[in-house]
Amino acid sequence: MLSQALIEDVLAAALETGGDFADVFVEDKTINTISMIGGSVESALTGRDFGVGIRVISGLFAVYAYTNDFRRDNLLHVARQAAQAIRGTKRDLTLDLRRTVLKSEHPILILPETVSKARKIEHMRRAHEVAKAYDPSISQTSITHKDEDQKVLIANSDGLFVEDRRTRNRLYIEAVATFGNEKSVGSSSPGAHQGFEFMENLNVEEHARLAAHTAKTMVRAEFAPSGKMPVIIDNEFGGVIFHEACGHGLESTSVAKKVSVFSDKVGELVASPLVTAIDDGTIPNAWGSSTIDDEGTPTQRNVLIENGILKGYLIDKLGAKRMGMQSTGSARRESYKFAPASRMNNTYIAAGSTAPEEIIANTEYALYAKYLGGGSVNTATGDFNFVVREGYIVKNGKIEKPVRGATLIGKGIDVLQKIDMVGSNLGFGQGMCGSISGSIPADVGQPMIRVAELTVGGRKGE
Amino acid sequence: MTMDLNQLKQAVFEKGRAYGFSEMEIYYQADRATSVRIFKGDIDTFNIVERAGLSFRGEYQGTMGVAYTEKLDEASIDQMLQAARENAEVTQSEEKAELFAGSESYREARSFSDELHNTDAATLIQAALDMEAAGLAADPRIELLNSCSVVNSNSEVMIVNTKGLDCRTASTMAVCQVSALAKEADAVATAYDNAFSAASLADLDVQAFGDRVGRDAAAKLGAQEIESDNYEIIFRNNAIATLLHTYSSIFSGSNADKGLSVLQGRLGEAVAGSNITMIDDAHLPGAPGNTPFDSEGVATGRTEVIKDGQLVSFLHNLKSAKKAGVASTGNAYKAGYRGDLTTLPNNLFIMPGSQSLDELIASTKRGIMIIELHGLHSGTDAISGDFSLAALGHYIEDGKIVRPVNQITVAGNFMKMLQNVEAIGRDLRFQGTGRGACGAPSLKIKSLTISGK
Repeated sequence: MLSQALIEDVLAAALETGGDFADVFVEDKTINTISMIGGSVESALTGRDFGVGIRVISGLFAVYAYTNDFRRDNLLHVARQAAQAIRGTKRDLTLDLRRTVLKSEHPILILPETVSKARKIEHMRRAHEVAKAYDPSISQTSITHKDEDQKVLIANSDGLFVEDRRTRNRLYIEAVATFGNEKSVGSSSPGAHQGFEFMENLNVEEHARLAAHTAKTMVRAEFAPSGKMPVIIDNEFGGVIFHEACGHGLESTSVAKKVSVFSDKVGELVASPLVTAIDDGTIPNAWGSSTIDDEGTPTQRNVLIENGILKGYLIDKLGAKRMGMQSTGSARRESYKFAPASRMNNTYIAAGSTAPEEIIANTEYALYAKYLGGGSVNTATGDFNFVVREGYIVKNGKIEKPVRGATLIGKGIDVLQKIDMVGSNLGFGQGMCGSISGSIPADVGQPMIRVAELTVGGRKGE
Repeated sequence: MTMDLNQLKQAVFEKGRAYGFSEMEIYYQADRATSVRIFKGDIDTFNIVERAGLSFRGEYQGTMGVAYTEKLDEASIDQMLQAARENAEVTQSEEKAELFAGSESYREARSFSDELHNTDAATLIQAALDMEAAGLAADPRIELLNSCSVVNSNSEVMIVNTKGLDCRTASTMAVCQVSALAKEADAVATAYDNAFSAASLADLDVQAFGDRVGRDAAAKLGAQEIESDNYEIIFRNNAIATLLHTYSSIFSGSNADKGLSVLQGRLGEAVAGSNITMIDDAHLPGAPGNTPFDSEGVATGRTEVIKDGQLVSFLHNLKSAKKAGVASTGNAYKAGYRGDLTTLPNNLFIMPGSQSLDELIASTKRGIMIIELHGLHSGTDAISGDFSLAALGHYIEDGKIVRPVNQITVAGNFMKMLQNVEAIGRDLRFQGTGRGACGAPSLKIKSLTISGK
């Protein structure tokens, strides 16, 4: 991408005013997006992102500059501009970059660039046909195929010089149901850090049916009740509850500045003893995995909570410096347009021992959230919210009827302590996680769990 | 950039012809920005941004192919053209996109300020430091500002095609944002807001702004839940503008056409109360989304979307307008050179009324003033208009604010809510810092469901 000699000169220029660390992130990414509405290909877009991010750190002060003019003179100019913001004493510096050759932990068999668009569209068409035929109420479908092939080069003044390639494929299936004047949407969006073989092996029909089922069921459902009640959250994307309620609050971005409710709580009981939670960037070919993070540190499996006790945080280099701890390989960014920050990879609550049927059978009354959508959290107060995409009322141990329009709100530590049952059916779901360093792919996961009490925001009684 | 702009245009069009494109267009955008974030009296981060890229559209055997690149050299241009041709080959849309030859005239948008363009880093840093100091001094219970930043940016856009279109514009924008954290015993509260100016750093009035956000955070301390019930609701201007921003795709002509909007087929019908008028205006003094032309090069103007409650127009680009048999409203939008062509408002706003926020509060018997909404990307259904959102606000009884409220959700349907607006404030405020911005005055709604205790 860029020569080692040029990178050395850029790093040297970045440290000219006495910064104590500098790194360079070079990115060359090709993205393909094809969208099909109602069975016909509405648009196809191909793009190439290319740019260089240069960071200089002095103490806890970080300067970040990026450009996509990659000529030598400009890169040196940008590095010097960044250095100007640091007012230190110039040091004599010898850079000795040692090239590391990575063995990817996430094998890619079929690169997206070797697959014709027509072949990608075949899978989309199958999704459309199955979703459309699922029920007469399905009035529209929207299917999007997205693949990206990202090549990165990361080098720093500690001598690191490493390249990595991340390839991802994802299929977004959305079905709209219409019933009278009402409309409802269902979706399923499987993805992986994998080549086109992911699409070839994917049960497209099953995902299309799931999306159509949600739309069909929800459009006829009555509104969810309001108020506090027990809530059962099913596996896979249900794990977004931990992601929002706890995961973001464990990132060093907020922990290090002591603006997280989890600051200074390692070793304390912060959750129900039934809860063990892990963030793992090493799961082979998982959506949120990568061999190294965006600072070049190998990713790892980080136990965050073990039997309810807080074990650790998610830390990048700057956070490590601020906290006097080690990086956990958690530095991530959307692209060269963002300085890296501590983020999650694949975050999940570990499997428990109760069968999911047993959880439902032992519940007198609850909202059962079968599929969750996205959410958000305020890490300073711990207040989180997320939306139920497909919900039911459980009464006397049985699923009684579907309900729609529910949002769940609560406070992070509070909800973790109220988990009173953990199922055995661990599963993962894919999402895009947005935060300070942009929007990045992340898996969430969990088995079915039951929370003794959560606020359900419905609109019954309007 | 590694090529001169005119050279680049020549090179792309010449090569494009060889690839078999009959008509072609390039959309070039270059952005530069400097931003500073302050934490506890020190510079926390300082960012320098420069980026540029080129997006290409070309008609190939009757269909439009699209691709873009940020790497501007010979090989990358070839790669882009090849991809665009392949994309044209697979696109099946029944209504064909066409390149536009240009509008008769364009109104200048006055969105470039020499003063902002020449503002140096030291001035920016001082502004951010002053803002933090004001935020911290706003109330003794302000612990810190967990985000305090000022961004100064400028951008140039050029759209040129082989049909004769040649549109160019440059704009500047300064944005400041603060998130303040207040603490008292075990209670923690935060407040966030941003402000913008296309003209001058002084317009941001960073000290008054920092002070206001600080006081907002402190006022939320001691917030509690409230009983689940139906209440009279006031959406403060910032909250309702954010909600309108989330729902602006409901008014998109192409979404309506594809069955992705509840307003599909409802043109001419009363979709809101007769007291609601909604307008999109690309030439509104002081608004954030002003632009002389849209992303297809069509001259922008003013469109009445809802007039006295009646849906009178959707927001169109060329393709959706043609399909609907009307003229484009100048709402074609591309999120820079990386984006796909869609529709978006320029500055979409609800016409303000005559009452002050205090008057709206005074006329409320038992209600909640919503000042903040969360989870908008997930708790809103853009197709149906349904929402159920985490919210913060203040409880009102007999015309007076009694106490702050948190851990509640507010639920309803956006379009149905617009049929039940009881009173309209005069305090129009915009959310957003570019095209797609939405504005609203504070609105009082008869009743919505609140979930709490």
